Amino acid sequence: MIRIALSFAGRIGRTLLISLLFQGVAIAADLSEFNLEQAPPNVDARQLARTAEDNMRSDRTFFKGEMTVVSPRLTRPRVVAFHSWEDSQEKKSLIRIDAPSKDKGTGFLKLHPNLWMYIPRVERTVRVPPSMMLQSWMGSDFSNDDLVRESSEVDDYDHRLLGIDTGQGSAVDRRSFVVEYRPHEGAPVVWGSIVAWLDIESGAPLRQDFFDEEGERLRVMRFGDFRQIEDRFVPHHWEMTPLDKPGHKTTIEIEKIEFDLELQSSIFTTRNLKRRD
Amino acid sequence: MGIETRLAWRNVWRNKRRTALSVAATVFAIFLVIISVGMATGVHEKMIEDAVRLASGHVAISGAGYRQNMTLEQFVPWDGRLEEVIETAQNVRAWAPRISSFALISYDDQSQGGMVIGVDPAREKNVSEFSQKVNEGRFVSVDPGPTVREIVLGRKLADRLGVGLGDEILLYGVAYSLETAYELFTVVGTMALPDHRLERNLAIVHIQVASEFYVYEDRITEVAILASEAAESDSLLADLEIALAARFGDQLELQTYEQIMPGLVQLILIDDAGLYITLIILIVVVGFGILNTILMAILERTRELGVVLALGLKPMALFRMIYLESMLLAGVGLVIGLSLSLPLLAWLHGIEVPLGGDIAKGTELFGMEPTLTFKLNMINPIGSTITILVVAAIAAFYPALKASRARPIDALRSL
Amino acid sequence: MLLRMAWRNLWRNPRRTIVVLSAISIGIAGCIVAMAINLGMVAGMVDTAIRGGLAHLQIHSAGWDENPELEVRLMDGGAEIAKALDATPEIQYWAPRLRAEGLAASPRASVGVSITGVDPIREAGVSIAADSISEGQWLGERGRVVLGHKLARRLNAKVGSKIVLSVQDLAGELTGQAFRITGLIRSGSRDLDDGVVFMRLPEAQALVRMGESITEIAIVTSDRALVDQIQARLHAALGSGPEVRTWEQLEPLLVFMIDSMDSMAWVLYAAVFIAMAFGIANVLLMAVFERTREIGMMRAVGMSRARVVSLVVIESAFVTMFGLLLGVGLALAAIWLIGDGIDISSFAGSIDEYGIETVLRPSMRSRDLATPIVIGAITAVISSLWPALRAGRAKPADALRHV
Repeated sequence: MIRIALSFAGRIGRTLLISLLFQGVAIAADLSEFNLEQAPPNVDARQLARTAEDNMRSDRTFFKGEMTVVSPRLTRPRVVAFHSWEDSQEKKSLIRIDAPSKDKGTGFLKLHPNLWMYIPRVERTVRVPPSMMLQSWMGSDFSNDDLVRESSEVDDYDHRLLGIDTGQGSAVDRRSFVVEYRPHEGAPVVWGSIVAWLDIESGAPLRQDFFDEEGERLRVMRFGDFRQIEDRFVPHHWEMTPLDKPGHKTTIEIEKIEFDLELQSSIFTTRNLKRRD
Repeated sequence: MGIETRLAWRNVWRNKRRTALSVAATVFAIFLVIISVGMATGVHEKMIEDAVRLASGHVAISGAGYRQNMTLEQFVPWDGRLEEVIETAQNVRAWAPRISSFALISYDDQSQGGMVIGVDPAREKNVSEFSQKVNEGRFVSVDPGPTVREIVLGRKLADRLGVGLGDEILLYGVAYSLETAYELFTVVGTMALPDHRLERNLAIVHIQVASEFYVYEDRITEVAILASEAAESDSLLADLEIALAARFGDQLELQTYEQIMPGLVQLILIDDAGLYITLIILIVVVGFGILNTILMAILERTRELGVVLALGLKPMALFRMIYLESMLLAGVGLVIGLSLSLPLLAWLHGIEVPLGGDIAKGTELFGMEPTLTFKLNMINPIGSTITILVVAAIAAFYPALKASRARPIDALRSL
Repeated sequence: MLLRMAWRNLWRNPRRTIVVLSAISIGIAGCIVAMAINLGMVAGMVDTAIRGGLAHLQIHSAGWDENPELEVRLMDGGAEIAKALDATPEIQYWAPRLRAEGLAASPRASVGVSITGVDPIREAGVSIAADSISEGQWLGERGRVVLGHKLARRLNAKVGSKIVLSVQDLAGELTGQAFRITGLIRSGSRDLDDGVVFMRLPEAQALVRMGESITEIAIVTSDRALVDQIQARLHAALGSGPEVRTWEQLEPLLVFMIDSMDSMAWVLYAAVFIAMAFGIANVLLMAVFERTREIGMMRAVGMSRARVVSLVVIESAFVTMFGLLLGVGLALAAIWLIGDGIDISSFAGSIDEYGIETVLRPSMRSRDLATPIVIGAITAVISSLWPALRAGRAKPADALRHV
């Protein structure tokens, strides 16, 4: 099916192409390298997306882990260890840096819409203007916006089930649904489409490919090291590879993650920010 | 001097009054042309100088792609090789290395994104004017202190942050190594700059401090070079490019101020175009004057010319003689004009005449100082001389032709 | 009688008369044409700026000068002001705008831009943006933006591409939305080609969560000379709240350029007319010399010295008048010939990059015509004085003896 869509796209004249783009019809992503099985007809792609999102969602979450950035200009990969609390209902979060030692104790407090930063060594609290959030975060391939924007994977997109990946191929190693996410016209998403591999058993995302509207794959996000936490199947290894910047990679390793906590609201205060733990 | 030339010369002086008037017109024209071109050249040079001294000099060397993205990634290796090339280049008046990048500048509750430029104060003062624009406090010290990190802010930036001299501000950014970079800096001075946008964003520190802050090691982001004069920028760029291509391949990018500040060039081009059109018209008018003079002379000497032709002088020879007369007339005017204007221009060269009133205000809008400068160069007199000679040569043609075509009979009849 | 004599004298030696005529006419024509071309260039620059978005006047909320940020805005969307604008007949078009600084992002790049919300129809009357669409079309449907072709290239985008625009709204929050590019602008104005993103005003207001507010109103008139009048009227009508500024106040640099053109004009006039004076004096002196016998005759016959002088002066006056007329005619003809402009693109090389139009279009104000004429007349008269006086001084006896 995808192959047909692809060859059809090849014959379209330019004007027609543009008008299609205007209809929000991005060119079908080229997934021909992954052999997909036909999916059963009664599966609701939207529900799959919702399950995937819920898998990682909780109202109050604790998170401890490490982010590693690989770049051709670094002689050694840069590793930042941190732990954080997030209250997604009240849109508050506190992130504390644990390593490297230069940054240890630095804290970020997000009280929507403001972001505050505390640097223990110089004992200064800085209010980060929202416009700064669009820069690359701590040198990684994520931007603050990625980490901070509240767009919904379910509501901002249309979902389409493309097929089933057996897990024997090169994409992923588990049997999974392959779902295409198309952003709604007007949704603040630069991508033309996102293709996600969702584990058939648990619904957790195994891989996400980001495409521009011409169907060119620009970023790949891989999830691994799944562990069962209560009724969730949680990936403890995330890896983001930008395809237009060779030699770059950003990885997040989760050491510990806790969901649906009871958190004191005093955590999300500037006073708490200035403490060093 | 051949006989024709001597005759022509004597003819020129036969009617002293007419010659004097014609010469006066030519002298006047030359004088005006030389002085006004000298002034325009001087003023434009100064405009360029003032502008580039608050930016990146006449020629800037940076990493390839730097100007697009302005990130630390596109660096210039600073291991001595580049320095060697610059030191041995011709036409380099002064040069200064810089490290510039973005940082979040914060004090109390206020933070502002800013452009931080790390400079070498000793070299920088020869290349840029930032140190002269300090309005409160002082510039960055030549020797970076061991403890205090000095920073100078644009005045509007300081106001925005609510910062005064002696206050400690925090700079926060991302280093080349992708580590976080943050340090406290002490404000030692503020600068008032004609470019308000720059004043709202600029912060200057010592280059060594910037290097440590951004963990840049043996790298810098640009070298700003001042050429001996603006007109030499292109050739300087070409020379440097050749010298550097061998050692650095594609890694570096060189640009002249024309590419970095096209708006400035636009202004100058329009000014120049206007001036040249004016001067051309002036010279045409003068050429016409010469034409008239010679023509009148011919008409006056109809009888004499007729006699001369009747006596056997070939028309061609007559043509040549009249032509020579015209050229000599123009030549005399030229020589006197040059000898009056060139010394004056030479004396004015380099002097800065202060301007007042509205014009002064206007130049300040450009970010320039309100002074008028003049410049003497070779092109000016050579170009003007050639132009006047060409015009004279063309103007002299018709009268000379008419003279040679005179019919002896008509001439004798007018007796 | 003197007049008839003067007239006939002129044509007795047609060649000489023609020479003087041509000297005067070329001088005048030269001045007029030179000024016209110079002025044309500066006028071109000013025009580009005005049509590129500066407009003839702009209205902002009080305090804009100090702090050109979003907080300072016209709350009601300019509804009150609109009434005053519509009641001012000198205003040809006016358009409301909302400007906000933001970020434009595509899958491959992100660039800081100036987002401008406009009323597509009104804006078309006020700036050339709508007329400079090189690809695609001007704003029409919802969810569309128009931006400069250079900006599009930086974003790696083209007509039909999607870009996400993010701004900081009034509350300080970051908001964003995706838009599709529906048109690219190629205008020669750097702002339009590489800095501004146009969208429909209501969508900009929604993006920035500003309700009905706008940041400025741009006004255009059919005759630039009316600008000050309009400003005065609006000041009277609007009182102390909104600030009305003319393009001269918004861009004093342009005014400076025009003023320096005027100073240069004086230099030009001085130069040309002095050169002309020398030439005319020369010819006339020679003429007087030549006519010594004739003048001597006239004096011998009883003509007073004063009348001889007047005769010469009147002769010069005639020639001057014709010279001026001819000169003006030549100049106007030349300007008409230049017509749409001299295309100097082949000489000018890459000036285009600098935003200068490569077509020199002459432009004239009444003073550019009147001043040279007046100065020309004065010059011609003055340069005829000395020869005239010489003529008067000739002694009849000497004159008759002169052959």
